[in-house]
Amino acid sequence: MAEKFDSLEEHLEKFVENIRQLGIIVSDFQPSSQTGLNQKLNFMVTGLQDIDKCRQQLHDISVPLEVFEYIDQGRNPQLYTKECLERALAKNEQVKGKIDTMK
Amino acid sequence: GTTELTGSTNLITHYNLEHAYNKFCGKKVKEKLSNFLPDLPGMIDLPGSHDSSSLRSLIEKPPICGSSFTPLTGAMLTGFRLHAGPLPEQCRLMHIQPPKKKNKHKHKQSRTQDPVPPGKGCRSHHPPPLQHRQSIGSSGTSASPETPSDSDHKKKKKKKEEDPERKRKKKEKKKKKNRHSPEHPGVGSSQASSSLR
Repeated sequence: MAEKFDSLEEHLEKFVENIRQLGIIVSDFQPSSQTGLNQKLNFMVTGLQDIDKCRQQLHDISVPLEVFEYIDQGRNPQLYTKECLERALAKNEQVKGKIDTMK
Repeated sequence: GTTELTGSTNLITHYNLEHAYNKFCGKKVKEKLSNFLPDLPGMIDLPGSHDSSSLRSLIEKPPICGSSFTPLTGAMLTGFRLHAGPLPEQCRLMHIQPPKKKNKHKHKQSRTQDPVPPGKGCRSHHPPPLQHRQSIGSSGTSASPETPSDSDHKKKKKKKEEDPERKRKKKEKKKKKNRHSPEHPGVGSSQASSSLR
């Protein structure tokens, strides 16, 4: 299970690094950089192909939409997991209290 | 009979989530996205709505594209021939790394380059137009782009020059540390101050 995530993570990291280097080339372009730029552009396409291939292995993985809210706000998505666990525990204790009272 | 799972059971234990609970709730989880993805370049702690890069907009309005990814041919690549020279300042944000916080001191957080006012120029959803084709053929040699170490070195140098306040505080800390070291005679006593004279 973890292997398919590792593979996707690796492809994404390589893709992001390639884009970052592309940005550096473009930010102060020199004519002699054209070959390198073309290579990076094609790496971008092959990177997307590799990421797309990972999709098939992960078709059964579901991500809650609420996590995207956290990411869009620039917040750590682990806070979502933390808050879910805390809410679950609080509700568990609340219900346990009710059951114990009724007993 | 069958044991019914009710709220009186500790569900965290039942579903073997103690490790997860201790990991996320046992210690402080840092607030920012850059703490979760420290190696991701760019200003990722800004809201996605800021520069139309939100995941929500991607889900609500997915881009219309083909089903396959085909490499760019030579003819297609001619469309990416650029003019030499630096980009305008507001477009040079992509390779800025968020500060890698090795120290916990709050005053050291302002390490990145000066933030450019967002929402203008190249940060809009319209990318800057590529320049016209140059008549110069490529020589086949590629210039080495700025390495991350070069830009980091410049950033560090600039940071040191701009922070005399930080130097002063560091000196004070060093003094305090020496005062309380076990090698120093009279720790905690009034003799400690006399050794500094």
